[in-house]
Amino acid sequence: MCIEFFGAVKALWEGMLTVFKHLFKRAVTLEYPEKKRDLNGAFRGKPVVEGCIGCGICQRVCPSGAIEFKKDENGKVVFYKFDLKKCIFCGNCAFYCPKGAIKMTKEYELAVQNKDELNLIYRGGAEND
Amino acid sequence: MTATTRLKLNLGPQHPSTHGVLRLLLELEGEKILSCEPDIGYLHRGMEKMAEKLTYIQYLPLVDRLDYLAGFFYSELLCRIVETACQAELPDKVRVIRVMMLELNRIASHLLWVGAFLMDLGATSPYFYVFREREMILRYFEKVTGQRMMYNYFIFGGVRKDIEFLENVEEIISILPQKIDDYEKIITDNPIFIRRTVNKGILEPETAFNFAITGVNLRASGVDYDYRHQDSLYKGFDFKAIVLDGKDAWSRYKARILEMRESINIVKQALDYLKKSGPLEQRLIPPINLKLPEGEYFAEIEAPRGLACCYVRSEGDDKPYRLKWRTGSYYSVNLLRNILKGEYLNDAIAIAGSLDIILPEVDK
Repeated sequence: MCIEFFGAVKALWEGMLTVFKHLFKRAVTLEYPEKKRDLNGAFRGKPVVEGCIGCGICQRVCPSGAIEFKKDENGKVVFYKFDLKKCIFCGNCAFYCPKGAIKMTKEYELAVQNKDELNLIYRGGAEND
Repeated sequence: MTATTRLKLNLGPQHPSTHGVLRLLLELEGEKILSCEPDIGYLHRGMEKMAEKLTYIQYLPLVDRLDYLAGFFYSELLCRIVETACQAELPDKVRVIRVMMLELNRIASHLLWVGAFLMDLGATSPYFYVFREREMILRYFEKVTGQRMMYNYFIFGGVRKDIEFLENVEEIISILPQKIDDYEKIITDNPIFIRRTVNKGILEPETAFNFAITGVNLRASGVDYDYRHQDSLYKGFDFKAIVLDGKDAWSRYKARILEMRESINIVKQALDYLKKSGPLEQRLIPPINLKLPEGEYFAEIEAPRGLACCYVRSEGDDKPYRLKWRTGSYYSVNLLRNILKGEYLNDAIAIAGSLDIILPEVDK
């Protein structure tokens, strides 16, 4: 009984010491809207497209059907749409694009007031754009 | 004398201590649990049916969502299915990158479990400590793969891009052992923790076999079964299976702590290899019009919550005819019927927590 008591006091003391050490350390959290952390590396945010040739591979690898595009009679891409309501930011389209036309930017604050703004529409898109 | 009445008690589905949304229907006599009926399905997303509508490459980003704490394991399984079907050989470097990511993921998953388990028992500070350490690992994953949890990094025949920022891994594995020592100082010998976990939720090996329990829960019952030793992915890595024979909630806690230390060892070995290796050379399997030959395919891996398996039946189409997942947690939930019988209500959450149940994996 006595041994158990002293064992408990020792264990609690050691535990409390470990916890109290943290009082004198720097905070690890960030005050988000004022301070933002740096997103180096391969962060996948809002997708953008430039220089699309209309091969349609992005559409075929997209798991959620978020990509739509239209071509005119000359085969030029005149309309390209990312539906951010459907997009899951997996990055398949950017990885498999043969021309490297789709890029995942580092933009991640995508909340909007009007849901139509979540349709990212690019017009033109071919070489002359 | 008052007549004893039996009480039916609903635990969940919104109980804050349960991991995800699980409903337990308990039958009580006083505080003693007579029977337990788990009710699952609140998180059902139709992961298996979805596979039949999508091509393999379309399905690959979704499998990370099966288990949001250890997504790499499931993408590895699907990649392995496609690689065996296409008879693709993985280069050594890809193999080592995958092992390193898997083991870091295992550490992150066990870390969160330690926090959540202690939270169940009413201790709050470890919860914040484990999140701090887990954050380092998740930040590293974000840098290399692009997202914190839904990685989509393994692809058929290799990985998306060469491994980078190895100095971050070095930092992680140099800091983590001290931090785990810290947790052990607070938790392992704490008398309250010992009283609440030792000899609670005894899982005999025979029961474990009958309920198909695998992973840490089985090894904490004294059975030496670690699939990683048979896994060709882990070829050349030197590690031992953590086997404890306490059979109780405390052993399951200790086994996870020891397994984290063992995983750090594996990451160290992988890191040594990757530092010396040259640039990444891999032959990816082209995903467009990818058709698996007709037949059945099966792959398994040791995930943090037990053996995870994937079964695919292909009719020679570009979509699977049937895809089935085996996840460790599903069997742990079923075990609750047996393991809670005869225990007290106060211990129910502690015992359920010690099995490391995660609901998205159960409901699929």
